[in-house]
Amino acid sequence: MVVRIGLLTEGGYPYVGGDAGLWCDRLVRGLGQHEFDVYALSRTERQEDQGWIQLPPQVGRVRTAPLWTAHSDGVVYGRRTRRRFAEAYGELLATVCGAPRAAGAEAPGEPEDSADAEADRFASALYGLAELARDEGGLAGALRSETAMRVLERACRAPGALRTARTARVPDLLTVATHLERTLRPLSLDWYEDDALGSADLCHAAAGGAAALPGLLARHFLGVPLLVTEYGVQLRARYLAAATLEEAPAVRALLAAFHGRLATEVYRAAAIVTPGNTHARRWQERCGADRAKLRTVHPGIEAARFADVGEGVRGSRCADPDTLVWVGRIEPSKDLISLLHAFAEVRRAEPGTRLRIVGAPAEAPEAATYLTHCKALAAQLFPDEAEGAHAVGDNPVSFEEIGGPEIPSLEEAYACGALVVLSSVVEGFPVGLVEAMFCGRATVSTDVGAVVEVIGGTGLVVPPRNPRALAEACVALLRDPERRERLGAAARARALELFTVEQNVTAFHGIYLEIVSHSPVRRVVVDDEGEPLPFGVPAEAHVPGRWTVTRFMTERRPRWAEGAPVRATVPPPAPVRVFAGEGA
Amino acid sequence: MTIDSVGPGAPGGLDAPGETGRPAGHRGAVDPVKALMHRHRELCERAVDPLEIAAGLEAHGVTDRTAARLRHRDVFSLAEEMYARAARDGEDPPRAETPGRPGPRAYWAVLALVPGVLGTAVVVALRLTDGPSRPAVAAFGAPAMAAGLYLAFRRGPLSTRNRTTGAARAWTCWLIAYSLVGDGLLSAGLDGGPHGPWPLATASVSALFLACAPAAWCAHLFAARARRRLSASRGLEEFAASVRPLFIGVFGLFLSALCGLLALCGTVLDESPAYAGAGALGALLLLARMLVSRGFTRVPGRVLVGAGAAEATALATVLAARLPGCSFLAAPVDGLAEAAGPGAVPALACGAGALVLLVQATRTLTRASAHAPSCEAP
Repeated sequence: MVVRIGLLTEGGYPYVGGDAGLWCDRLVRGLGQHEFDVYALSRTERQEDQGWIQLPPQVGRVRTAPLWTAHSDGVVYGRRTRRRFAEAYGELLATVCGAPRAAGAEAPGEPEDSADAEADRFASALYGLAELARDEGGLAGALRSETAMRVLERACRAPGALRTARTARVPDLLTVATHLERTLRPLSLDWYEDDALGSADLCHAAAGGAAALPGLLARHFLGVPLLVTEYGVQLRARYLAAATLEEAPAVRALLAAFHGRLATEVYRAAAIVTPGNTHARRWQERCGADRAKLRTVHPGIEAARFADVGEGVRGSRCADPDTLVWVGRIEPSKDLISLLHAFAEVRRAEPGTRLRIVGAPAEAPEAATYLTHCKALAAQLFPDEAEGAHAVGDNPVSFEEIGGPEIPSLEEAYACGALVVLSSVVEGFPVGLVEAMFCGRATVSTDVGAVVEVIGGTGLVVPPRNPRALAEACVALLRDPERRERLGAAARARALELFTVEQNVTAFHGIYLEIVSHSPVRRVVVDDEGEPLPFGVPAEAHVPGRWTVTRFMTERRPRWAEGAPVRATVPPPAPVRVFAGEGA
Repeated sequence: MTIDSVGPGAPGGLDAPGETGRPAGHRGAVDPVKALMHRHRELCERAVDPLEIAAGLEAHGVTDRTAARLRHRDVFSLAEEMYARAARDGEDPPRAETPGRPGPRAYWAVLALVPGVLGTAVVVALRLTDGPSRPAVAAFGAPAMAAGLYLAFRRGPLSTRNRTTGAARAWTCWLIAYSLVGDGLLSAGLDGGPHGPWPLATASVSALFLACAPAAWCAHLFAARARRRLSASRGLEEFAASVRPLFIGVFGLFLSALCGLLALCGTVLDESPAYAGAGALGALLLLARMLVSRGFTRVPGRVLVGAGAAEATALATVLAARLPGCSFLAAPVDGLAEAAGPGAVPALACGAGALVLLVQATRTLTRASAHAPSCEAP
């Protein structure tokens, strides 16, 4: 069964060096039996200039659209269209600003009902704008026009609007309007036709936010089910990014509210949402994602390169039993200071232990300073040691980079120690920890981010910022090689079970099939002359039971439906929607 | 959870000397959430909703387990409490002035002089030369002047990212060409000529080209002042009301600069400049350019076409009146020229156009949306 997937990305695949590009590439290459069409939004001009990565043959078509440049189609709205625009945009902004519906219209109800009603209101306003863009065009210009500004001002000043929004001044309104215009650019695209997203059996958005917006519209206009994958929650990333910008509170409040509503709508509309870890899952639940739709799909990491080390072909036996290894990018959030203090305690208990810190400083300017600071601290805490009176001394803590003579590759870094330590205070998905697990190394890590979820019971976990606990755990493992071995083997088994690329790809394969079987895209059934056939799909087809044999128009026929008709085993969801051929 | 029974602190662990329960007492004794809020003071103060606090806390390593210690279900509910308790006073923090658009400021201001210099040079050369070398000067001069205009308006406040249509550009060139040769040709045509070369309005054209510099400066002045008012105003109406007099003032400033330049060129070149025609054309071109650079291309395009077509029609009727039986065609232009001289034709055509654009500009350029920051991604 071939599924045709519309892969939606923003600022990522297929551009060189885009976000999540590696994951998308592995997914597409791993699922050669399906067909992919890539719909990519580019974020900057530079990105567009850098070009694409090489695409495998299963990628049928790539359509791109820039988010960074204004493409006005020169359509200017007449009075009626302008009123229609103002109504839809006003409704959208009213939900964003938190203004209640016009007095009397709101029925008193449960808070959950009202949240649902608000989400409905936002969605209908958003789709109203999309329909306007589809019917008339010119949405980009309208969103930049004075009408839009007036609507925005009215929404901010409305009674019941957010308190912060009411402080908005004209420049704030301008900033918000410009940002909204940029975010809503996917509404003006021409992707929502039968020959574009309409030909897909499902849309897979590689991220939330703007990337999922075309998927929302494809679902609205064409009934294509939507799958959303979020390894990092877009909304959270937006909050963190906004914290570094010097923007007025009103701007931040309005944009945060808008993106929050958009995220809610994306989760509501998606058939399935796949967070990358429990942390992302909690954020999604918080933003209104239905638990029944959430399937955690852990990111996949290439395991083959660690196979030799993990299976003990090399490394495991010759690893120095007194060496701790830390591998990662050096930056303040990794808390190497705490690691060094912990190591001081370890040395007090087990003299002769060595610590190898492997990694380069991150790009941020403070990372290099941090590395210098750590080196100074290491020199202060641990004097150089020598074998005897005539040998040249050496520090028990070494800072090394991958690619040097001693550690030519990443797997060598893990291979050279008996114990891998992770001391971060902040962590997302700990890739380094998974790599250590692949290498069959016993690990001691701090309880941050997805660490506990990843390690399960196959390593020791201590609280962050607690050097003493870290030291105790390390010493316990250093003194017990047998336990180390046991934990390492268990960790490798767990990682091979959960975090391989194959696991990731297989999970998505299963999810694709599940979505397609639960919500098949319905197309109009036609007779031999190509005329739509009324009652072509009998009512019985939509209830469990015998599936009446029907003929599909060849070009509309989904690929996976080729072959002999089969008995329906899954009841199709009601109501049935018939898309093509209806007046749009 | 661990697959084996030996945990840290169990037999075989580090023999920990002394007490372990020390840090609980001396920090955060009374209200641990308050202590946390104090630590993340800035975050709590600038947060616009609880999720922002939650994101910030997580970025600082606060996890659900930390929240559980503070008797909260998760970070979100902890963040909600912190958001609710954070003292947010109603007043805004002092707002930084919107910084002006950084860029090669002196660069465009000087470049704006280029068309003036080039135009004056070409016009003076046209005046000094005679006979066969004149067409050669014109042939070299016209592209040079066009290049000067292109250079001057590529950057600076009158630059535009919107592609101007070829038609609008062609009609602009025609309008300028008419102001150079039109009046002389029209009066010669009315007298049954032209018999040999007719006088060129060199003073008007060189003044127009020199006026590119004040035009750019005025546009910059308008943009800068409008931006300042933008950051000061609280409402769209208030902003429009404060910018309208500014716009009229800047426009008046340009007109007086143009009149001064016309008078100067007239004196230097010993010619009586067409104040009305050249003034109206200058106003028309400035307004059109200001509108186009703010993204309003439709009306200026049509008005330029209209003005150019009106002048072309006037000239055509005069020449067509010589055909047998068509003398009535010249009557309106003839009457107009009798009453107010041949300069009345461009004055009327461009003046009407400028008036339309002035109305349009006072409506559109005083809107806040015309002063939006650049919509390109940074």
